Amino acid sequence: MAQRVDPTFMKSLEKFGVKDWKDCFHCGNCTASCPLTEEDYQFPRMVIRQAQMGLKDKLKSNLDLWMCYFCGDCTKTCPREANPCEIMRSIRRFQISAYDWTGLSKKFFTSTTWELSFIIGIGVIVLALFALFLPPSPELWTNPALFLNEQGGVMINNMVESISGPQFVKIIEYGDWTMAVVVGGLLISNILNMFYLTLLKDKSLHIPFTAYFTEFWKLIFHFSTQDKLRKCDDKSYWVGHVLLMTGYTIMFVIIVGLLPKFQIEEIVPWYNWQRLLGYYATIGILVFLIPVVIGRFKKKKCKLKHSHPTDWHFIIMLGLTAISGILVHIFRITGMPIATYISYVLHLAILVPMIMIEVPFSKWSHLAYRPFAIYFAALKKAGVEKEKVEPTPAFA
Amino acid sequence: MNKKDLIGIFFNHPGNGQISNINYDELKSYVSSFNFVKKVWDSDDSPLLDRSLMVSEIQKIGITRLVIVGHDTGMVKAFFNSVFKYMGLPVEDVLLADFREHGALERNDTELAKAILVCAIYNVPFEIAAKPGTSDVCADTLVIGGGISGIQASLEIADANQKVFLVEKTGTIGGHMAMFDKTFPTLDCAACILTPKMVEVGQHENIELMTYSEVQDVSGEPGNYKVKILKKARRVDISTCIGCGTCSEKCPSKAFSEFDAGTTLRKAIYIPFPQAVPNKYLIDAESCRHVQGKKCGVCVKVCPVPGCIDLDQKDEVVEITVGNIIIATGFKVFDPKRAEQFGYGKHPNVLTSLEFERLINAAGPTGGNITYRTKDKKGNWVFTTGGDVPDTVAIIHCIGSRDENYNAYCSKVCCMYSLKLAHLVKEKLPDAKVYEHYIDMRAFGKGYEEFYERIKKEGIKIIRGRTAIVESTNGKLIIKSEDVEKGKLLEKKVEMVILAVGLEPTDDAASIAKMCGIDVDGAGWMKEVNYVSDPVNTLSGGVAIAGLCQGPKDIPDSVAQASAAASRVLQNILKGKVSKGISSLTFSDIEKRARELSTIKYD
Repeated sequence: MAQRVDPTFMKSLEKFGVKDWKDCFHCGNCTASCPLTEEDYQFPRMVIRQAQMGLKDKLKSNLDLWMCYFCGDCTKTCPREANPCEIMRSIRRFQISAYDWTGLSKKFFTSTTWELSFIIGIGVIVLALFALFLPPSPELWTNPALFLNEQGGVMINNMVESISGPQFVKIIEYGDWTMAVVVGGLLISNILNMFYLTLLKDKSLHIPFTAYFTEFWKLIFHFSTQDKLRKCDDKSYWVGHVLLMTGYTIMFVIIVGLLPKFQIEEIVPWYNWQRLLGYYATIGILVFLIPVVIGRFKKKKCKLKHSHPTDWHFIIMLGLTAISGILVHIFRITGMPIATYISYVLHLAILVPMIMIEVPFSKWSHLAYRPFAIYFAALKKAGVEKEKVEPTPAFA
Repeated sequence: MNKKDLIGIFFNHPGNGQISNINYDELKSYVSSFNFVKKVWDSDDSPLLDRSLMVSEIQKIGITRLVIVGHDTGMVKAFFNSVFKYMGLPVEDVLLADFREHGALERNDTELAKAILVCAIYNVPFEIAAKPGTSDVCADTLVIGGGISGIQASLEIADANQKVFLVEKTGTIGGHMAMFDKTFPTLDCAACILTPKMVEVGQHENIELMTYSEVQDVSGEPGNYKVKILKKARRVDISTCIGCGTCSEKCPSKAFSEFDAGTTLRKAIYIPFPQAVPNKYLIDAESCRHVQGKKCGVCVKVCPVPGCIDLDQKDEVVEITVGNIIIATGFKVFDPKRAEQFGYGKHPNVLTSLEFERLINAAGPTGGNITYRTKDKKGNWVFTTGGDVPDTVAIIHCIGSRDENYNAYCSKVCCMYSLKLAHLVKEKLPDAKVYEHYIDMRAFGKGYEEFYERIKKEGIKIIRGRTAIVESTNGKLIIKSEDVEKGKLLEKKVEMVILAVGLEPTDDAASIAKMCGIDVDGAGWMKEVNYVSDPVNTLSGGVAIAGLCQGPKDIPDSVAQASAAASRVLQNILKGKVSKGISSLTFSDIEKRARELSTIKYD
């Protein structure tokens, strides 16, 4: 495939966060010092080379970038202080925007205004929907005691006039399902696009049909364990990240699949599954998030030194979601109906835009792209091995 | 024409990509103090020059003279010439004050820039207004440092029948070159070139050699420097020592040999190496049992010359008067322990290039056999003459050079000496595999590229891509690197790793430079007047620099510069006068002189 050298391409990458792209003099130090680089996937130098030459298509189809889990070893010893890991991370942002066929992702990464206005816009829509269709009962103010159950907790599902408890939960559940379908659909379509860009587009590649099944375990394994992160990073970061991942996965399963059993009027004892899982998810998110926020402020760790606006948006929204969720819980069990209603609505007004924007378009999409990249890379390898074709020649 | 002269000043900033730390704002505030400066333009404000606009502006104010000041002033001179011609003014009144001409730009010296500007304003040539005074010269010369540069400079001056004091910090002259086995690209024996010169220095009637001495203080003025020299206690009388070596044989305490780069041990009373000049013993205070307060004195007892060894000798300070000083303090090699990833100090068979120079030298620890370090009975890692021979050797370039974490500059010689070492390994061990891992191959001199081509044909694997990590498993070293040209990840087992360490200024370079009143640059190398046109003289009158203290260079360049420094000194001696150096002038001196000499009457 003939490709044009485009030296202006790096300039366009600058908005994704690439800063020191001119400095690299290709000594190979980064590739050799990386604990994750392998014979088949070589980075960061090769990626930087492709970026410097402006080989856009090559970068779009490059799966190696996702094999990097940002430990910072390359940056520590880089003789040019070119910060290869940051370049890798920025090019991953470019890739996310390339996988997204709607073009919104690129807007979000390159313009803070775009992302913020979408986040706020969706939040306002959520608020408006509540105001129009699920407004608080006026009696919340006049007679709050009406909304308390015999245990003294707030009856969270009965705060809207003329809508019964089961009905309220159903409405929220339908809302959750809609969101899940939209987000899932977008994400899946983006993954399919990634599949097209990285594998299908390469006509020389013939992947054996069986490989799709034999390699599938890799997808599940790496999604659930993040094994590569364990190999590359200090263990505490990996533990935190797994806690975070399991935490939000549990929360997602609960609110999409088990909402009628989760969002109940009765205040159950703390050892019941609803509360235990909720606590686990909250702790998982906060345990990871708090050190990351501190680290991003301190700017000592290589990994947290440079923060793109999208990093902050994600962190802030995830943090606010967790905090508002905690507040709902506290207000509910302490019997404060008005506060419960407000915090509940706010919780959704933060949570919905976060999932709608971050999962298919922005930083959070790495939850899918990382394991899929490993899966696709395995497929590619199987295809190459079958054809007995040498891997694409490197750029020296 | 009795009309008063009015002046306009155009500030021209450096163009794209050129960096200047000269404070233009300070210059602007300086010129604004003159009432005859009527207009100041700035190239940053008006990057596109419009002639008709400029003409009308100049006519309105009535400017009769114009100074273009800054960087690349010649680039805009044509424009102002045309403006002046159009207005019927003489183009001679368009004056230039270029910061490049007198080195203000290179040194980022705003004071100097101001002086250049004021000379242009008064239309007095800078060389005339800023002419440093001269003083009479004492014919004796001090050379600091006894490496190849110091030796060469001393011999040049001494051969012209002038007196030279050669001060050397260690017990012998010779410096780093004496430690090398071969020189590139001719593969001449380094000692064969150097030792005759060393002997000549030792025997020369015009050279007073002061080894094991350090310059402590320099005072006085150009042409008449008073220099205090600390003669460290050698504890052996040079004049009576016959160099028999009995003392060393019996001496009970040992230390690492500096000359062998720490690969062998020497005694506390020792001679640095067999060809040392002076070929006399000395006592290392740090390892001598007697000096450290323990009971000893064996050397005194066995010495055949009575009174030759004086264990309680004290340091002594002598003062000499010299007219000129040549600084040739040389370099030290980069300490690779600072770059942990290469495993130096952790794995015994990771060597510096200097250690390997000694290992491969016929007078080295193994008599020139290349063996790798093995554990002896006491558990120390040592080279032994009959030891195991490595079958794979890797040479890693750019250790501590071209690396923002340590030294950003290129040390210039490492590529070439690495190729030389590779050749020497191949010469002694034809079956060994030799790998060179480089970033860029810099074969920059006469015959160097040809040498590189020759080495390539000798079966040495020269790989583009610096090694990132040196690890060890089961006693074997593993080096990880990327072959950048092939895009392949390499992980190789090798038995010996040679780190091509870069060069750094010596620890005392900064203090010696300060004593002599010259500057060092950011890396610590001494500053010359102008790297291109006057690489030998310094801003202090009568002080010249030679060799590595100025910056990394190879032996031929060092020798050439040493000869050049000697010629500068001889120039001063023959004239009998020495320039006091531009650093003896202050800005107000230059300003005053320019005003006096000026034919323009502004006020």
